[in-house]
Amino acid sequence: MNTFAALYPLLSIVVGALVVLLLEVFLKRKNRDYLAFISILFLLNAGRECIRVWNQGYTYFDGNLQLDNLALLLCLILTLATLLVILISMKYLRLQNVNFGEYYALLLFALSGMIIMVSSTDLLIIFLGLEVLSMSSYALAGLKIEDVRSTEAAVKYFLLGSFASAFLVFGLAFLYGAAHSLDIPAIVNFFRADTSLSLMALAGLGFVIIGFGFKIAWVPFHMWTPDVYEGSPTPVTAFFSVGPKVVGFAVLIRLFQLYWSESLNSQIVSSSLWVIAVLTMVAGNLLALRQRNVKRILAYSSIAHAGYLLVALLAEDNSGLVFYLFVYLFMNIGAFTAVIALSKKGTEYLDLENYKGIGFRYPWIGATLSVFLFSLAGFPPTGGFLAKFYIFASAVHEGFIWLVIIGVLASLISVYYYLRIVVYMYMHTATNDIEIDAYNPALFLVLFLCLYGVLQMGIFPGNVLIIIKQAVASLPIF
Amino acid sequence: MTELFLVFLINGLLGVVLVVVNKITGPKRTNPIKETPYECGSPYLQDRIYPIPIKYYMVAFLFLVFDVEVVFFYPWALIFKKIGSPALIFMFAYIAILGIGFVYAWKKGAFQWEK
Repeated sequence: MNTFAALYPLLSIVVGALVVLLLEVFLKRKNRDYLAFISILFLLNAGRECIRVWNQGYTYFDGNLQLDNLALLLCLILTLATLLVILISMKYLRLQNVNFGEYYALLLFALSGMIIMVSSTDLLIIFLGLEVLSMSSYALAGLKIEDVRSTEAAVKYFLLGSFASAFLVFGLAFLYGAAHSLDIPAIVNFFRADTSLSLMALAGLGFVIIGFGFKIAWVPFHMWTPDVYEGSPTPVTAFFSVGPKVVGFAVLIRLFQLYWSESLNSQIVSSSLWVIAVLTMVAGNLLALRQRNVKRILAYSSIAHAGYLLVALLAEDNSGLVFYLFVYLFMNIGAFTAVIALSKKGTEYLDLENYKGIGFRYPWIGATLSVFLFSLAGFPPTGGFLAKFYIFASAVHEGFIWLVIIGVLASLISVYYYLRIVVYMYMHTATNDIEIDAYNPALFLVLFLCLYGVLQMGIFPGNVLIIIKQAVASLPIF
Repeated sequence: MTELFLVFLINGLLGVVLVVVNKITGPKRTNPIKETPYECGSPYLQDRIYPIPIKYYMVAFLFLVFDVEVVFFYPWALIFKKIGSPALIFMFAYIAILGIGFVYAWKKGAFQWEK
């Protein structure tokens, strides 16, 4: 149904961003914390609107914006991620002297771009959303104006990101030339009818995959990830590690849901994605072994997780993929929250040396961080285990035996560097005193919300799975 | 399709071949005058690019935003009668967003030429 109500979630976010931007210039410097609460209000409203239109299938702008259930569920996931990121950044921004009101506005603008991306099937509209997301991300990465590393991160992200956008547009031009449309159903129909190998369409699809692969950080396109993750302010890193991955995979789910067939072009794409998946899982995990900076470890771990998610994409396991994204949101933001908690005015403790004895000095932070790391590594009582299990099971079912073997071996490697942090926290005695003053109720709220999420997904995933199945069932069949 | 591909291939290869052959067979006689940057034959005026104050960029940005706004106005005015009141609402929403940006830039001191 074509109705204005389809616009409410997006409108709530954009209006929130504009209000925050206006208030920022009129509010006194010491009152900037209110901006966080205002943006949280708008986020909650957006979430409420998403839930209200569940199962309604509203569309707007002549069907260019489609709020089917998958879009709504992903909107909810992204809104939740942004909410958690805002909660963990309130104290951090003050401590690290980056308390700009524009921070919240930029986060909301990035979120609006992501909502556009997940709720459209026109690749041009998706590109528009991607640009809104990217522009805000470049500014967010360079938020610590006086920090050289942050500036470096922003410049690197901007240069490489705009290059990747160029690839995407180039691919769109090729696809339009071949399929005479940029609507995803039309493109997939073209590929399914295409018996002779159309080089133009294949090149276009390849470029589009490169463009999204950059945002998701698959291995030949991952070079920016560690530097940008390390240089950006830590809450922004948490945002980067979840948001762009979710939207990238959302677009790829829509693009590939009916694409796989016996035709030659499908086999070429499938085998090249197979190679990318293997490279991503192996290289991501191997490179993480040598890192000593916790943010860099988490950066490489997020690359590796992009590889596991790609396995789900290849195995056509859409509900498994969405479930993994859901779990990944909780465990990754949780881990970054614990990293943020270990900071004081002007400094952050990011080196592994600083984690010696943390488990006994700050038991809550140590314990929750351990659970998140166990979940990232894929240990049984946590959500990370079930998510990996579903993905690998469906991959075996689809006949990707070698992919699963390599994936399981790669995640075995990952156990080493995740548990190394735990070992440092609990089995080394503290050599240097570290003082932290980032204690704050919002931080602990997020820690325990994420803990709850990870354990709920690991022990009683049933309810969540039912919702995800409903969402995936709403994908259009054409 | 293959013909198109061949055209791209031949053109690409031709570019590479011409540059490489030029590099290998061409004579290399240089003198200091030859190495200077080319400025229409006259002696060059400055030896580097001097930094430009960021204020110019601010003004250029704002100019660009409102310039593009006018570009959107023309087609809007042409089809205004056909669409009616929704067109008015959408355009006012658009102007409101630009206006907020303008107020933001103003309060942040983008127009203060001398601090």
